[in-house]
Amino acid sequence: MKTMSDASEITFSNYGIYDLSDNLELLLPNTLIKFQRISGNAFSYFRENSEGEIIEKIIPTESNDVKIELVPIQPLNHPAKRTNYVFLKLDKEIHLGENSAASIFVHCPIEIGIFLIYDDNHEPLDWVTCNPLNSRFSLYGSPDTGTLCKYAEVSLATDYDDSVSYVNGVMHIVIENTLSFAQTISKVIFPITDNNLYYNNSKSIIDGIKITMKKRAAVNIAEVKQLLWILSGP
Amino acid sequence: MVLELLQSLSEMQLVGELTVLSLLIGGIIMAGGIITAKIAKLLFHKYYAPSLPKDTAQNISKLIYFGILIVSFLGFTSSQGIDLSGIMVAGGIFAVVIGFATQSVVSNLISGLFLIVEKPAKHGDTIDLPDMGISGTLLDIGTFSSKVRRFDGTVTRIPNDKFFTSNIRSLTLSTVRRADAVVGISYHSDIENAILVMKNEILQTMPFVLQIPEPEFRIDELGDSSVNIHVFVWYPKDDWSQAQPILLATLKRALDNASIEIPFPQRVIWSGKD
Repeated sequence: MKTMSDASEITFSNYGIYDLSDNLELLLPNTLIKFQRISGNAFSYFRENSEGEIIEKIIPTESNDVKIELVPIQPLNHPAKRTNYVFLKLDKEIHLGENSAASIFVHCPIEIGIFLIYDDNHEPLDWVTCNPLNSRFSLYGSPDTGTLCKYAEVSLATDYDDSVSYVNGVMHIVIENTLSFAQTISKVIFPITDNNLYYNNSKSIIDGIKITMKKRAAVNIAEVKQLLWILSGP
Repeated sequence: MVLELLQSLSEMQLVGELTVLSLLIGGIIMAGGIITAKIAKLLFHKYYAPSLPKDTAQNISKLIYFGILIVSFLGFTSSQGIDLSGIMVAGGIFAVVIGFATQSVVSNLISGLFLIVEKPAKHGDTIDLPDMGISGTLLDIGTFSSKVRRFDGTVTRIPNDKFFTSNIRSLTLSTVRRADAVVGISYHSDIENAILVMKNEILQTMPFVLQIPEPEFRIDELGDSSVNIHVFVWYPKDDWSQAQPILLATLKRALDNASIEIPFPQRVIWSGKD
């Protein structure tokens, strides 16, 4: 299997829908996916990832029109689905003065979902991550009442085209500080399940969020709202 | 025809004022009560229980079932013209006698009720009862006893009063848990370097170990043969098997790869002439 270092020499499969007629081979960084027809209406599925983990499945289907969709998905499944929250640790802190706002783009990690499409069904078959080392957990809060999150150290992106193929997607974050004193933002924690992902070839974009830091009664809070890319994007 | 039959049944006296007809009506009331209780229990299990915690569902189910049975029984006694006040007095005296004789049973019953109300642990929780040396998964908090499936697959029944009064350590109530291991390195090894290689190995090869809080290293002891380092890592509460059992192997691999010695116990002996 080709490794990450060989990535420049080979062409990886783009996101999208593929016809599953007889055999199909999809190549992602550190990951090989193979489909093979083993009888009239049955396929075998083989996947090997960078950690040497092999998954094999048999897919019996009654439909003659079977397709495979390769899409970026939320980074919640590797190494196991345990939470809906992500903890994005910014590699550079953002200083926000009183009554000011900032608009940034960050590289948010993604996973890649493999879906089976037949008739009117769209079923998840498997998922992979092309960067398992950046797929870890963290805790936000105390051990007894805190929130378990998927953790990633993220860097700032320049714009929506600045994503690393198969590894991350670009996410727009708007931070507004309505408090009467400055704030330093070093991490962003939010449930990512409502954020849709969009793809084009091998690039991906994730719905953004708007964080408003404000005072509610005597407490300072950070209110998080979703920013739909389809409305705010280019 | 039917009226005549009922008339004849009402005239057939068994004991005192108890007639065949009243007994028949009582039987119908009780049978109706039992059937209603079973149907109510069945409907509850089908439509409501799946959305409730298992132990709560079981308790409500019992409450519904026995509640309907008790109401049916009261209906049965009133249909027979039985005066319960006499039974109450006799029952009160009887209850005192029985109460003394069955203290532990009552104690278990009351403890069971308190356990249900307080909920120190719920069905499916992994718990540790250090006083009794029992660890495992809580299967059920019943009327008189609770059941714990131990990690070796056997099920232990614990009387509720013992369960209620013992220390209960919940292993699944917190979001995360901590694993630890002690590893010794030789005195001539660089401690900072050893910690660095162990930390890198943990973060790279143990995907369930939390990045925040990050692994912690404490110099535990300057031992006879080694500098002992205590390593602590946090992991999601359900992933004990991905942390504690492999932590020590990971640490050893890291030290081996970095050629850092894990010393055997050694003793320097000086003879008197020296």
